[in-house]
Amino acid sequence: MPNDALPRIATDDLPMPEARDDAWRLLGEHRLVEVEDGYAATGRDVVETVLKNPSVFSSKKAFDILGSPVPLVPIAFDPPEQARYRRILQPFFSPKAIRPLEHGLRRQIIDLIEPIAEKGSCEYVAEVASVFPIQVFLTLFGLPLDMRDQFFVWKNAVLNLTAASGQTSVDGAASEGIQKAAELFVYLSELIQKRRGVPGDDVLSQVLNLQPPDALTDDEAIGLCFLFVLAGLDTVMDSLGFGMQRLATNPDKRREIVEDPSLIPAATEELLRLDPPAPFLPRVTTEETTLGGASFPEGTRVTGYLATANRDENLFTDPYGIDFHRPENRHLTFGLGVHRCLGSHLARLEMHLVYEEWHKRIPDYHITPGTTPRVHWPRGTTGLDALHLTFGKAQAR
Amino acid sequence: MRVAIDPNICTGHGLCYADAPQVFVDDDHGYGQVIADGTVPQGQEEAARHAVANCPEGAITLQE
Repeated sequence: MPNDALPRIATDDLPMPEARDDAWRLLGEHRLVEVEDGYAATGRDVVETVLKNPSVFSSKKAFDILGSPVPLVPIAFDPPEQARYRRILQPFFSPKAIRPLEHGLRRQIIDLIEPIAEKGSCEYVAEVASVFPIQVFLTLFGLPLDMRDQFFVWKNAVLNLTAASGQTSVDGAASEGIQKAAELFVYLSELIQKRRGVPGDDVLSQVLNLQPPDALTDDEAIGLCFLFVLAGLDTVMDSLGFGMQRLATNPDKRREIVEDPSLIPAATEELLRLDPPAPFLPRVTTEETTLGGASFPEGTRVTGYLATANRDENLFTDPYGIDFHRPENRHLTFGLGVHRCLGSHLARLEMHLVYEEWHKRIPDYHITPGTTPRVHWPRGTTGLDALHLTFGKAQAR
Repeated sequence: MRVAIDPNICTGHGLCYADAPQVFVDDDHGYGQVIADGTVPQGQEEAARHAVANCPEGAITLQE
């Protein structure tokens, strides 16, 4: 099949901001779609093919264009280099390594939620979803929690730079972003100098004290820190925002987890299935190849669209519905294959803690009348700009 | 009933040992492993079948 036979969709015009399910439905009508920057693999089967064949669909080539000053360990690499980083890093993010953090992190989220519960309303993204993942990062890296607001500024600067990559003109905001990102770079460089050779329980100290052949260079260690900031903070923030929006607007579903908190892990998976925060996994072909009956030359950008793959009706009955009792939930929100999300166990723990402790204290809430949560769009990641919640049962209208 | 995990396919999503802890266990890297020789204890058949069907990578096989 020639590629010009593939349907074309202008993704920038999709109704993502206020009707993302409709946007995914439009994209999911075909398994392969031509989009602005290449091709979108939207069907479950073609997404699996793309993610499971890293030698043909390269992650390294897709991330080269970010022009990062440090190596983004390990997403900007393909096997075999990627496998080395993965082998070194995976033990630090395994369930066995994460479990000891649970008690302290639970205390932290309780301390965040309790004062909010007394206020009667909040802006959930700013007050809960954005701050908790930063605190987790600081805890994991053995940094004081009072650096939270500083990291918030740095993180946004770095993420905005990445979002703006590919643009040629540098405006005022971008140059301020570059300056902030440079501050983070300097901070991390100095931190790494301080931690090297000093024993410590935190992940950074342990990574820095690895012995050859596993030892990471300074550049690799900074790259890892940057990647953690890029991949580990806004993803959890956006997942929590989306999940709480769906729970706020579906009181019958919310009631299920309030009455039976043991459903929270299954509910977390279902909310993750519907709203992957990083729904686009970019790859670039290393050779001429065929996919879903179409042929693509070397150097073609093919992006795996996870939110549509997660709504494949061959795999999920009523794929647009929320169901906390699905017998199986093989969603792809954490990816698949060699680049599967390294932080998935930590992310799941964070989300379980938030959903558990929030619903113990605030079982009823609704979207504050007069406010509309909106997804920032177009963007490479999806999330809500704000989510205003008012506690208590909604007034019947 | 017996289960096996293909270590070349498993990437450590961790769903099997979370859902069926009497059949699977995690290693230090977070990869799934079968307990003992993978023989499914009595009463765990449903949990084992669920783990097979729920593995995102399709890394687990089951022999009745």
